[in-house]
Amino acid sequence: MTVKTTNPIFEKLGMKYPIVEGGMTWAGTGVLAAAVSEAGGLGIIGTGYWHGEDVRREIKRAKALTDKPFGVNVMLLSRHIREVFDVIIEEKVAVVATGAGDPSPFLDELHAAGIIVMPVVPSVSLAKMMEKKGVDAVVAEGMESGGHIGMLTTMALVPQVVDAVDIPVIAAGGIGDGRGVAAAFMLGAAGAQMGTRFLTAAESEVHPNFKAKILKAKDIDTIVTGNLLGNRARVLKNKMAKSFVKNEVNELQKEKPDAEAIEKLESGTLKRAVQEGDKDGGAFMAGQISGLIHDEKPVAEILEDIWAQATDLMGVENTTK
Amino acid sequence: MTDAEIFDKTKEILVDQFDLEDDEVSLTTDLTNDIDADSLDLFEVLNRVEDDFDIKLAVAEDIKTVQDLVDKIKEQLAA
Ligand SMILES: Cc1cc2nc3c(=O)[nH]c(=O)nc-3n(C[C@H](O)[C@H](O)[C@H](O)COP(=O)(O)O)c2cc1C
Repeated sequence: MTVKTTNPIFEKLGMKYPIVEGGMTWAGTGVLAAAVSEAGGLGIIGTGYWHGEDVRREIKRAKALTDKPFGVNVMLLSRHIREVFDVIIEEKVAVVATGAGDPSPFLDELHAAGIIVMPVVPSVSLAKMMEKKGVDAVVAEGMESGGHIGMLTTMALVPQVVDAVDIPVIAAGGIGDGRGVAAAFMLGAAGAQMGTRFLTAAESEVHPNFKAKILKAKDIDTIVTGNLLGNRARVLKNKMAKSFVKNEVNELQKEKPDAEAIEKLESGTLKRAVQEGDKDGGAFMAGQISGLIHDEKPVAEILEDIWAQATDLMGVENTTK
Repeated sequence: MTDAEIFDKTKEILVDQFDLEDDEVSLTTDLTNDIDADSLDLFEVLNRVEDDFDIKLAVAEDIKTVQDLVDKIKEQLAA
């Protein structure tokens, strides 16, 4: 059997590589997303809790750099979600990706505007619910990933989601080179999504301290904050991450643990890492694959090298050459 | 479908999903605190409820007790 390395959605978008840059709040800027799309992948702008006009600014930065389609990742729990969707529809963005939450209330208007919708799913049941609601694809993301995470590993989650739904499944979490991309296809995925690998791209606008921390990281250098209380997030170890975990343990020993107080510890810390490179106080969200990443190079080279290795391993023709 | 029938069917799903005894599920049972359901468990329950009742639910965060769930099902069955 030959491996199928594309899917109808990627074909419609005219992508050269079946590789997506996962939306990353603060880190996934319009410049990085444009670089990924321009090079033939699918770039996605991260927007977190932004206002509509902030989202528009990044979309415009991306459009100035590429005519290729790109996506926007939205935070459905944001207070500004209505204005964010208005901007996305006005700007005719090609793809909407979502992290936590349920995009289905917005599905009809997004589809009417011709926008492809692909939520991240942490489990089989959520993937099935999303398929029933009519989304176009799902991103099955394992807990190896950087950022907010679920409970399952990519290796275990992806094939189970693939078996459960008929829409394209994009594998994410722990993918950093051609071996990872090939593995994603072996698990039945119809595409691969990476976050951490793109953080050290030449076009990535994260603070030099952030890039240096990933380049220096070893396999064991990430930790999960919010495991006991709050929201689980994988970050590179530093003072902030370690004290966060200690605070969780202390809070749990109290008679009435206050989960909200713990959640507040996270507030603003990703921005501090991305924009200020605050070594002790920032949340340097990154995945377990950080230890595999040793170089800063242009997005086009990252994609080219990864796809050359992946096609070689899978024994399929590299038609991009 | 009567309220009692909705409750019974919901209870069946919960008993099966969480390996409970019948008498461990009542309308006041709190899914998180009494059954220790995590967010992934809740999606599993919602997905089964959708299939078994042939309804669509939002991935709502405001379902705390069995009563909340039964109310949501009733609302969707009536819709
Ligand atoms: C710094 C950072 C921020 C992220 N922010 C978001 C986000 O806002 N929304 C989201 O759905 N995923 C977010 N992610 C997850 C990525 O989109 C992607 O799925 C993940 O990084 C894949 O795993 P990898 O890091 O092992 O490649 C973030 C990841 C990182 C590293």
